[in-house]
Amino acid sequence: MSGRAAAEKSGAMTGANEFKLTQGPEDSVSAVKFSPSSAQFLLVSSWDCTVRLYDVSTNSMRMKYQHLAPVLDCAFYDPAHAWSGGLDSQLKTHDLNTDQDTIVGTHDAPIRCVEYCPEVNVMVTGSWDMSVRLWDPRTPCNAGTFTQPEKVYTLSVAGDRLIVGTAGRRVLVWDLRNMGYVQQRRESSLKYQTRCIRAFPNKQGYVLSSIEGRVAVEYLDPSLEVQKKKYAFKCHRLKENGIEQVYPVNAISFHSVHNTFATGGSDGFVNIWDPFHKKRLCQFHRYPTSIASLAFSSDGSLLAIASSYMQEQGDVSHPADAVFIRQVTDAETKPKST
Amino acid sequence: MGRKKKKQLKPWCWYCNRDFDDEKILIQHQKAKHFKCHICHKKLYTGPGLAIHCMQVHKETIDSVPNAIPGRTDIELEIYGMEGIPEKDMQDRRRVLEQKSQESQKKKQNQDDSDEDDDDDDDEAGPSFQQPAAQPQAAYMPPMTQAGMHPGPHAQGMPPAGYAGMPPMLTGIPPMIPGMPPVMPGMPPGMMPMRGMMPPMMPGMPPGMPPLVARPGMPPMAPAAPVTAPGMASRPAVPATQSAASKPLFPSAVQAQQTVSGPSSTTSDSPKVTFPAYTQPSSAPSVAASSSTVAKPPATVTSKPATLTTLSATSKLMHPDEDISLEERRAQLPRYQRLIPRPGQTAAAAASAPPSGAVGGMIPAQQVIPPQQPGMRHPIHGQYGGPPQGMPGYMGGGMPPYGQNAPMVPPYQTGPPGPPMGIRPPVMSPGSRY
Repeated sequence: MSGRAAAEKSGAMTGANEFKLTQGPEDSVSAVKFSPSSAQFLLVSSWDCTVRLYDVSTNSMRMKYQHLAPVLDCAFYDPAHAWSGGLDSQLKTHDLNTDQDTIVGTHDAPIRCVEYCPEVNVMVTGSWDMSVRLWDPRTPCNAGTFTQPEKVYTLSVAGDRLIVGTAGRRVLVWDLRNMGYVQQRRESSLKYQTRCIRAFPNKQGYVLSSIEGRVAVEYLDPSLEVQKKKYAFKCHRLKENGIEQVYPVNAISFHSVHNTFATGGSDGFVNIWDPFHKKRLCQFHRYPTSIASLAFSSDGSLLAIASSYMQEQGDVSHPADAVFIRQVTDAETKPKST
Repeated sequence: MGRKKKKQLKPWCWYCNRDFDDEKILIQHQKAKHFKCHICHKKLYTGPGLAIHCMQVHKETIDSVPNAIPGRTDIELEIYGMEGIPEKDMQDRRRVLEQKSQESQKKKQNQDDSDEDDDDDDDEAGPSFQQPAAQPQAAYMPPMTQAGMHPGPHAQGMPPAGYAGMPPMLTGIPPMIPGMPPVMPGMPPGMMPMRGMMPPMMPGMPPGMPPLVARPGMPPMAPAAPVTAPGMASRPAVPATQSAASKPLFPSAVQAQQTVSGPSSTTSDSPKVTFPAYTQPSSAPSVAASSSTVAKPPATVTSKPATLTTLSATSKLMHPDEDISLEERRAQLPRYQRLIPRPGQTAAAAASAPPSGAVGGMIPAQQVIPPQQPGMRHPIHGQYGGPPQGMPGYMGGGMPPYGQNAPMVPPYQTGPPGPPMGIRPPVMSPGSRY
């Protein structure tokens, strides 16, 4: 039974090619990540202290494991191992075949980001303790602690390089094969707090979003001719009663094939952008609340959209948290040929 | 800037004086900002085109070009990209650009000097460096008048001789520009005037600081070593426009950006205004470089979360005021705070397990209730809540808000009060800590 059929049966369809995951987390979603090898499995980490594995083809939850405190990020090392970390500062790996946990190590403060670098075969974590730590996934054990100038808010892997976004709008580029020194120190070209950084699949650069409805497209090559190509644009802003409401852009995800990217904001919208022609390709319907996380599947056929209120307006009542799985088409994600 | 043949250095918009790399981009800008219908958002090609559209389709007249600076709002002037710009305005622009580039180059030299020679030791280096640069500048800037002044006696026959005088000046200038680079690395000192503004603003300004000094409007002046070399090469082409851009940025940034702070922010007005439109694709090198110079101001703010500055009266940032991430803010909520294991709590939790088992049947029952809580507080309450005698007063003080419990209920208290209940009272005195 396909995910869509299962969803149709259970009444979970929320659009012609979109459905909501059943047995979703009981509090806000912090991250969604597809398995590297298949569009069938999705990891979802949440503020309800759990990490859940879903089979989107049957719209069912396959597994769930706990942390002591809210989980802020999760990542696949390989299709059988999930890694996660959060407010309890513990980095855990969970074997999805045996349903067994292992605590790999800790940071001195909550872990904010967990990513995997396939080229160097290392797990990377970033934390509010102002450090990035590397972990060997096989043993598993710590492979180094690297101080950052500020609390780590986001990070992304581009080939064998690591791009770290910290508080204070700093951006650092590290060479994962040589962590003795920072390869590039930059400052975000956006004036407001960095929210998310994601690297292009072609490893030429990265996209950086801020809390002020703006996204910058930047390049890694420091030469002037390449740096001149960088640009920024406004997005996720709504005009209401003459006031422009400017929303944080919380999530970015790249389509692995087309090098186009989706952004999700606290306005509840998801936009898909073509960075080469500097055009927006598509905007989906508005979701019930803020978009907390986005993930394209590795083949680019599905987009997981986590719609969770993120306390932008304080602790008020809000629509229920949900994860939507949407089938995306070339028309929505492929750059126009003209 | 040896190529004097070009009639303009870079495409610029007559309506708002902004610079662009490319005429194509300039035209896109004009269509989106100046020739766009405010009613139906249709993009026209020219000012008159927009006027005609509004009249025919919406039956509305417009009398000025949207988003144009005063004096440049003529709706009847047919301007498309760089075509149609009146010659007078072209000349004005050229003059203004040259003035700006001379001025800002001169200004940088001055600043470089004034920073370098705090003592008198560097005086010789200063002026001697300045003069050769200053002279050709001074002679070049107001071409006719200076040329008239220079060789005084020949005042009457000047004009042709003045022109004859120019070429040597011109040839003098390109060499001067390569001569400028040694001054460029002085840009960080050149940034001093802005830095000088900062100290008064600092307490309230922290989040604004880094962006302020970053000034992508000054891109070519990157002191960062790897970038300076290519930076220098492009400088001759760029400095005029960039330094020209840096001047108008102060006033024009007000309209170009929505960063004019709302009435609520106090000292942040002027520094915010200087931050140029980074949408121009020119902000790379200085941004990288200035992060090293900016290192100081952000460091002073780490103690307290900085607050964001508001955008403007018409824009609202849908984000809490403190400049911490949404996740950090959420993590401070009590319902999540109590889930976060405190340092030493896991050890104390283990220590409390045996004593609680020894105390009696009531305690384990109480402890089981919050299975996920690694924190100390539940077990502790369980212990104190169990034996009814003499406890209530303490409990009343200790119960309600978890966050405030810590001082009242030090984790290690659970160690001693194991079996001998009689020991409890001394353990419980508020001042005692184990």
